Amino acid sequence: MTVESWIQVWYALPVLLRGLLVNLELLLGLLALGLVVGMAVALVEVYAPRPVAAAAVAYEWFFRGVPELVLLFLFYFGPDQFGVQISAFTAAVLALGFRSSAYQSQIFRGAIQAIPAGQMLAARSLGMGRLRAIWHVVLPQALRLSLAGWSNEFSSVLKDTTLAYGIGVVEVMRQARYLTARNFRLALPAFIAVAFLFLILTYLGNWTIGLVERRLRIPGLEVRR
Amino acid sequence: MRKRAWLWALVGIVLVGGVALGAEKFVVGCDIAWAPFEWVSPKGAYLGFDLDVMRMIAILEGYEIEIRDTAFDSIIPAVVAGKVDIGASGFTITAERAEVVDFSQAYWTSDQAVVVREGSGLNIVTALSGGAKVGAQRGTTGAGWVEDNLVGKGVNVTLVLYETYPEAVLDLLAGRLDAVVQDEAPSQQAVKEYAGQLVIAGIIKTYEEFGFLVAKGDPKRILPRINEGMAKLKASGAWDNLVAAYFGPSLDKIEAAWEACISILVEERDVVRYAQCLADRATQ
Amino acid sequence: MGQLLVVEGVCKRYGAEEVLCGVSFSLEKGETKVIIGPSGTGKSTLLRCINRLTEPDRGRVWLEGMEVTAPHANINKIRSQIGFVFQDFNLFTHLTALDNVRLGLLKVKKMGRKEATERAQAELARVGLAGKADAYPAQLSGGQQQRVSIARALAMDPKLILFDEPTSALDPELIGEVLGVMVKLAHEGMTMLVVTHEMGFARSVADEIVFMERGVIVEQGPPEKLFRAPAHPRTAEFLRKISELYGEAA
Repeated sequence: MTVESWIQVWYALPVLLRGLLVNLELLLGLLALGLVVGMAVALVEVYAPRPVAAAAVAYEWFFRGVPELVLLFLFYFGPDQFGVQISAFTAAVLALGFRSSAYQSQIFRGAIQAIPAGQMLAARSLGMGRLRAIWHVVLPQALRLSLAGWSNEFSSVLKDTTLAYGIGVVEVMRQARYLTARNFRLALPAFIAVAFLFLILTYLGNWTIGLVERRLRIPGLEVRR
Repeated sequence: MRKRAWLWALVGIVLVGGVALGAEKFVVGCDIAWAPFEWVSPKGAYLGFDLDVMRMIAILEGYEIEIRDTAFDSIIPAVVAGKVDIGASGFTITAERAEVVDFSQAYWTSDQAVVVREGSGLNIVTALSGGAKVGAQRGTTGAGWVEDNLVGKGVNVTLVLYETYPEAVLDLLAGRLDAVVQDEAPSQQAVKEYAGQLVIAGIIKTYEEFGFLVAKGDPKRILPRINEGMAKLKASGAWDNLVAAYFGPSLDKIEAAWEACISILVEERDVVRYAQCLADRATQ
Repeated sequence: MGQLLVVEGVCKRYGAEEVLCGVSFSLEKGETKVIIGPSGTGKSTLLRCINRLTEPDRGRVWLEGMEVTAPHANINKIRSQIGFVFQDFNLFTHLTALDNVRLGLLKVKKMGRKEATERAQAELARVGLAGKADAYPAQLSGGQQQRVSIARALAMDPKLILFDEPTSALDPELIGEVLGVMVKLAHEGMTMLVVTHEMGFARSVADEIVFMERGVIVEQGPPEKLFRAPAHPRTAEFLRKISELYGEAA
């Protein structure tokens, strides 16, 4: 780790940042997918009739049980068997997004179940249908309670985006590997730089979520322990 | 600088975006981390012997290519699945691989080099016996050779496998390995990078041949065009110039030459002059 | 019929235990009926069976001649006409007092925002909480929360309000303010069905008292009769016990 190698990594920073941008795109895609699907799975698990809820549990079991890299390969190569060509980026968003949805569904399910049953009863007693009660009464509370757990999931999937390089998404790990392959001496400094970039992103992300949490904070609605 | 950015864009449009013009386009899968066959310059350009051969043949044979960076282990599955049309990543032609893909004519013959630390006093025999720790990249010919001819035959060595070649070299430098077995060209490159620290103890003559590969049965009829293109390159002298440019000079020099010459290939689409330019500048 | 609410032969069973068994009574418009009885005798279940927050196993319920328990009854519409005040308030934790009262107006009655806000403010004023519109439930005392929940029920213009032990979860010093609101409502002619242990309230406000035990109605009648000369020994015993627990009921 000579000074020279650090200077070279400094000059390569734009390349690493370009890679990091791809990680961020992956992150946004997979978090959004995970949020929508995860919420749906959680609602089904809590409210749907038993056979349907069992299907949701099976879904969660599958996506939590299969290693991430295997999921990536399944989504990258799988669709070809049915004549569907899928890009590495899309495959990564789907694989990591569905996986995240399984974890997010747990967070949401816990939060929904933490909302006292009386809230639902009160909404129903006003004449709200079930879905309307969920939408206006249960979800606004459950989402607030979910933020802490969601912050964890954010940090976790942020790091997971680097796995996409396994199927050829040119993200930051791949860029760092380019540097290393070109100049063996850069191996350590390049990956130290990547580590720092992720630490900064994790900090910024959690800070933002914390800010949202404070903005949405309501007296009396905290995580009950 | 602005002009250069414009040039990169052009490289992208001509080599990648050909599909927009309705031109025939093939996806080339390559693990771009094996100089001098393929690597990424500090400015982010994909270059290397394999990739330039692919570009030149594409021009000669009138199709477009998109180079898609793919992990080495995934290239053949990607070709089989139809996600990638051509595998061009220093693939040794083996009977095992030929069961699932079809190969072009051989374009390179490689031997295995044994790299050791300078001053270690090891020669090709002592580096590969007497309890030596030998590193190699997983799935490569070098790893297979050590497995078959040393470990399998009871020679007292320990084989340590790595995902990438650079990792093996770094462990050699750190003293955790006694030797690394790898193809000759990348080994030469490593020794050049670490002049005074690494040295080639000897060459194992394996004569393995590299080929470009396509899906079994060549459904898109690509191989005849690759073979014909290679013949044209060799007949015109461009091939020898490309070899001179990529095997020998330092990566810095090759990169500078490539940057100076690539417009001849991309804009003028003149294969012969490009190879000449590259060789002249790289070997200056 | 002439009756606002008719309950006929309602039964409810949880597992092996029969919580309600053949309960029948009716309620006239403007009437206040108080249900008393030991804990765990199905009083709360009875209230919930009326607007089907709990589905009765048997029996029928009519509201203004319309059958609530009919298989294809529009239960959401019916519930919007029956106010329900819970023992532990069940205010929406994430909404201010104003929004708690306004939510049903906006989402169920589809009232315009401005009109709903005015109405909600009026209802809060009616329960004496005009100044607490922006407070969240956790910032209010139990008594204030229960008054907001009454305002929430009132805003829907209900045909009757069901009160499920509205003061049981309150500290003693806060009970009065809630009962005060309920007395006022009774005098204004609101039809109310109240489950409570507040014998003072029952005695002074109720038009009729129902005594329930073990899922059945033991006896019912006007308070002066029921309190002074209960027909059934079980009623007498309950009244004696309750006066030991809560002091002389009067």
